[in-house]
Amino acid sequence: MRKAILLTLSVFLSFSVFANVPKKTNTLVNDYANLFSQEQRMALERHLVAFDDSTSNQIVIVTTPSLDGYTIQEYAYQVGEQWGVGQKEHNNGLVIVIKPKNETKGEAFIATGYGLEGALPDAVCKEIVDLEMIPHFRDNNYFAGVVAALKIIMPVAAGEYSYKEARYNDVPMAALIIVLMLVVVFLISYSQKGKSDKNDFRGGRGSDGTDILTALWLGSMVSRNHGGSFGSFSSGSGGFGGFGGGSFGGGGAGGSW
Amino acid sequence: MKKLSTGWIVLIVVAAIVIIGIMWGIRTNNKMITAEEGVSGAWAQVENVYQRRMDLIPNLVNTVKGAADFEKGTLEAVIDARSKATSVQLNSENLTEADIAAFQKAQDGLSSALSRLMVTVERYPELKATQNFRDLQAQLEGTENRIAVERNKFNEVVKAYNTMIRKFPNSIIAGMGGFEKKGYFQAASGAEKSPEVNFEF
Repeated sequence: MRKAILLTLSVFLSFSVFANVPKKTNTLVNDYANLFSQEQRMALERHLVAFDDSTSNQIVIVTTPSLDGYTIQEYAYQVGEQWGVGQKEHNNGLVIVIKPKNETKGEAFIATGYGLEGALPDAVCKEIVDLEMIPHFRDNNYFAGVVAALKIIMPVAAGEYSYKEARYNDVPMAALIIVLMLVVVFLISYSQKGKSDKNDFRGGRGSDGTDILTALWLGSMVSRNHGGSFGSFSSGSGGFGGFGGGSFGGGGAGGSW
Repeated sequence: MKKLSTGWIVLIVVAAIVIIGIMWGIRTNNKMITAEEGVSGAWAQVENVYQRRMDLIPNLVNTVKGAADFEKGTLEAVIDARSKATSVQLNSENLTEADIAAFQKAQDGLSSALSRLMVTVERYPELKATQNFRDLQAQLEGTENRIAVERNKFNEVVKAYNTMIRKFPNSIIAGMGGFEKKGYFQAASGAEKSPEVNFEF
């Protein structure tokens, strides 16, 4: 009898030991290890919510003092899969887990949802962790490391640039060129519009020049994303709308220090 | 109106029961087909991630080969294990326990050959430092993660399917429709660690 009780208890306990990734929250920044100041946390949250609103890509940041027996990739995967980070139809979620250096070594991991594996292959995630995050993390500047990583991840995840362009090229210049190209393309198609069928271009709407305005607005969006205005982001966004049920397949990479 | 004889009533009742039974059978059959398709889909994902690993190996072998006097034996073991693993291809129609076990055995052989290779590489620091190798290593690690994830997902789908077809009265339809039990992946010894629970009374 005693044995039976013990057995039941151990099954129960081992279950609860396994299920101890933090419960789903309604924020994108979850700073359980207290690595950020209040202002930093809010700035990150605002920025990530705005990114979710404009691109539907959901980026979750979890910091934790302990991995509770998981490896960091399991931990990041479980958070992504259990919380449903990213949209269900695109699986465009991303989870950044940071375990600061304490009694054990520091570790960081970027887990990509199925839909982002192409934009951010494992080797790229590895490089972002090693080159952008860890150098700052070594100096205990977790905010700077996360911001440096996000400045690369966000445009790449939004599909605006490849990783190489985002990291190694002069990004504002690239943005300018894209804006110019957009304007030229829209001007050409606009000037040809009179000759062709009305439904030929974008369902035929905007025959009063709105297409050029759209192009300019899009261009300004593109360049704004690279302005590096972290912390001074002041758009009045209405808070995080909830996780979309995205799925993860074990993609991503990380490093330790 | 003419009164129905008892015989007619019995006949109608029996016919109704038979029709209800047939309708239930069709619905159950369709549910099982859906579940079986789910297993096939999960299997496709498993094959996909294993294939991903296969595709990485030629590149890995070439990169490692470039390193001065790298041990031939370790490399050949990987190449052999890869061709063995390639030869075991399963049809998603019949994923019996024996099938899955054979598949897993071939793939686990490759896993251990690969991990021996990675251990050996530790002795070649200049190889380890190259960008090419570091990229490959990240990809390989990511692929192993994906394999673990997709295997778990496959096992979950198979569990739901097996439970469905073995439960009475579903088992009758399963027997008639030829739905068979599917195999699971076994946790590799030492690979999947279960959390330790220590408590004393």
